[in-house]
Amino acid sequence: MALARHCLAYAQERGAQKVRITLTKSLLNLVGVLNGEVDKTAHALDRSLQLQLFVQERFGSFSSNRLDKANLEAFIREAVETVKMLEADACRDLPARERVAKDAVTGQELGLYDAEYETLTAEKRREMALRSMAWPQEGLIAEEGEYSDSVFDSYTIDSQGLEARHTETSFEIGYESTVEDAEGNHFSSYWWDASPRLKNLGLEGCAARAYKRAMEQIGPKSVPSGQYTLILDSECASKVVTPLLNALGGYSLQQKNSFLADSLDKQLFPEGLTILDMPRTKGDTGCRLFDSEGVATREMPIIEKGVVKTYFLNTYISRKMEMEPTIEDATRVRVMPLGGCKTQQDVLDKVKDGILVTGFNGGNSNPATGNFSYGIEGFLIKDGKRVHPVREMLITGSFLTLWSQLVAVADDARPCLSKLVPTLAFKNVDFSA
Amino acid sequence: MIGEKNYYLNIFQVDVPSLDKLISEALATGGGYADLYFENTTYGSLLLRDGAVTSGGNHIDFGVGVRVLSGEKTGYAYSESTAWEDMLSSARAAAQIASSQAEVSPYGTRNPSRGEPNPSADRYPIGQPWRGTPMSAFLPFLQKLEADVRSRDNRIVKVIVNLAFQVSDILMYNSQKELKWDTRPMGSVSLSAVFKQGDLTENKSTSRSFRCGAEMLSQELADEMASEIVKGIDDRFAAKRPKGGQMPVVMGAGASGILLHEAMGHAFEADFNRKGTSIFADKMGKQICPKGIQIIDDGTLRGNRGALNYDDEGIPGQKTYMVEDGVLTSYLHDRISATHYGVKPTGNGRRESFRYAPLPRMRATYMESGSAKAQDLIAEVSKGIFVDEFSNGQVQIGEGDFTFYVKSGYLIENGRLTQPVKDINIIGNGPQALADIRGVADDLAIDPGAWTCGKEQSVPVSCGIPTVLIGKLTVGGE
Repeated sequence: MALARHCLAYAQERGAQKVRITLTKSLLNLVGVLNGEVDKTAHALDRSLQLQLFVQERFGSFSSNRLDKANLEAFIREAVETVKMLEADACRDLPARERVAKDAVTGQELGLYDAEYETLTAEKRREMALRSMAWPQEGLIAEEGEYSDSVFDSYTIDSQGLEARHTETSFEIGYESTVEDAEGNHFSSYWWDASPRLKNLGLEGCAARAYKRAMEQIGPKSVPSGQYTLILDSECASKVVTPLLNALGGYSLQQKNSFLADSLDKQLFPEGLTILDMPRTKGDTGCRLFDSEGVATREMPIIEKGVVKTYFLNTYISRKMEMEPTIEDATRVRVMPLGGCKTQQDVLDKVKDGILVTGFNGGNSNPATGNFSYGIEGFLIKDGKRVHPVREMLITGSFLTLWSQLVAVADDARPCLSKLVPTLAFKNVDFSA
Repeated sequence: MIGEKNYYLNIFQVDVPSLDKLISEALATGGGYADLYFENTTYGSLLLRDGAVTSGGNHIDFGVGVRVLSGEKTGYAYSESTAWEDMLSSARAAAQIASSQAEVSPYGTRNPSRGEPNPSADRYPIGQPWRGTPMSAFLPFLQKLEADVRSRDNRIVKVIVNLAFQVSDILMYNSQKELKWDTRPMGSVSLSAVFKQGDLTENKSTSRSFRCGAEMLSQELADEMASEIVKGIDDRFAAKRPKGGQMPVVMGAGASGILLHEAMGHAFEADFNRKGTSIFADKMGKQICPKGIQIIDDGTLRGNRGALNYDDEGIPGQKTYMVEDGVLTSYLHDRISATHYGVKPTGNGRRESFRYAPLPRMRATYMESGSAKAQDLIAEVSKGIFVDEFSNGQVQIGEGDFTFYVKSGYLIENGRLTQPVKDINIIGNGPQALADIRGVADDLAIDPGAWTCGKEQSVPVSCGIPTVLIGKLTVGGE
């Protein structure tokens, strides 16, 4: 912290009118497992200083991991001179003082730091990595897994008095299984879990679930191209939510590269769709009290009953667009349930027939038009039950049309994901096979 | 660029005896092989948006990675400081892999190379250095490029030009006493534009990326990129989604090399085969595509984004034939997989930075030209699709299913290009697609774009292909 304050004062001394500095430190330990044995270990300690300089209405962003004082001072001197070479832009500024977080003092206010992290040994980490494995199993030809834990600490100050800290631990387990059928065809799948608290990490059965998911892929059959009801598993449903959030991002809107331009306060989605940002839920993965500018997060609707309620505008973009600033980005997104469904089976029972998509294979979308095309894998559904796996299929459409065909939202979002998106169902989606 | 040995030793404040001592510490618990990877990278960037270069910056990344191998098992740690105590701590952390195993098998690589790097064999000489040239010298290029683009089409409402450059000093040493060094430059220019026509909006983008100095920022490059960004925009506005389904696909020369990268390149990376997960795990020596086809992964193309004097394990950059006359002849190896298969490493051990252990990765992957003419391949198709502009791809290694996203192309009807198409994903199966290549044209082109491969870590790559006809792939559509 003293180093950050020294760098801030030094940058001002060298000619910067305004300065923001973020110091980060992270420590990661990882144990990899291959076919029942420890295959790799990794230990990583990272430290970095990020520096945003505002000099004569000019702006530059810099970083270095050489944190000795002499190196940093030389780096800052050069950075100030570099900013002076850029063109002026009066929209560049720090956020107004009243907008920044004042409650992020210890970094642990959100309860995302687990002191059990400090008790872990190399032996314990190996034991946890191996505890979850399913190897050997019938048909299983390769099983790779990883256990990792990390602690991340960031400290941000600016020349207007901002002081904000965020500290969190993270524990993760993930396994990938490859199985072989009687004809020698390979099928693979994965399962994973993560939590800020070790006691909540789903170590048990992680590899078994990956193996089960891989075995379920055996015996795929073709289905004809056509329109089907799309049921999106909660593991991958954020694929159709993220492009909406990106399209509401300030840079996309200001650059006129968004299919949601001029959408604020308009009813562009079905009345049943509500998406909230809940960044301050204690103990929840991904929650933050402030964004990278130090602006305080707050709970707010993003889309409420189908109406767009906010754009994501940082200080710079809001000035460019001559609008009120909001927050830089969505933090902890939650799609609210719809249609009385709690579980995925409730959704399947409701729609009866369709294709359940459990994973994506490539694809992309056009931010300007909202058109998309994705490779998928999953299962044909008849009368609410899985009939057989499908793969080498594609879904194609446009996001506004897709969301207008929303028929159900369950309440089964995985808490380990940064976006809480449950199983979703859409009618009349184009599938190619 | 290959500098003097002492330049690198001085940057990292080490000498060979201290490197030996560090290697000894790394092997103290019984590891069979250890290596050190020192990196000093400086990045620079400038962004032109809304008509002005109003954002830029520099970034420094410095550190050393320590790897210990115990048989095929890897221990890895790194330090962001080259102070002795910090490096020692990393070496001891990496060494834990050996102490965690009941059995330790000695690690061997044939024919250790103790020769010093040869500056005359440098594959990326630097004309105008990025380092030491003031940022202000680069501004006129961005400003002229933007003005040129805007002058070419009055439907343009937004232009973004981004210049990113980096220079990495690398020093490598290992327990076989091989000491190698290299300085790797990379310059990348990306250009994007948003067009408005009535109520319709379209975007286009293009990029160029080379291992070279700032001399790349030429008028010729600006002309080329400005021309490319406006080319085909009328077709983009007119483009429609095709009717989806299986159909023949003609892949245009150049960027269609993404087919090779996704459909087979990843499946040929030897770590996937060593672990038995790749669909090509039992195909070595077998015919996997029609006779006459050669597929190559190449680190020797001068100035190419995938070029390497040495890979990240100190193995010389080289040209590797993966497929010769349609037969699978080589995987892409790092030291671990080469030892596993009892072959020489192919110079494919690569990593994103000192923070990562190396893995088998592609460099510039391409297919050699055939004898057909591109227009004849199109003429063979009665109903299909031609594609030539892409954004991204992906593969499932076990199943071999690959996809790539097509930004633009055309329907082929009765042997002629007709309706423009856009924004569709194409999916296929690697072994089936390779076996289903119906024709290869004589027009190999290596794409100059800023391709980045994201297998666990991000590394710069390149790809290329002549015009190729594939009998059947699944095309997304309505």
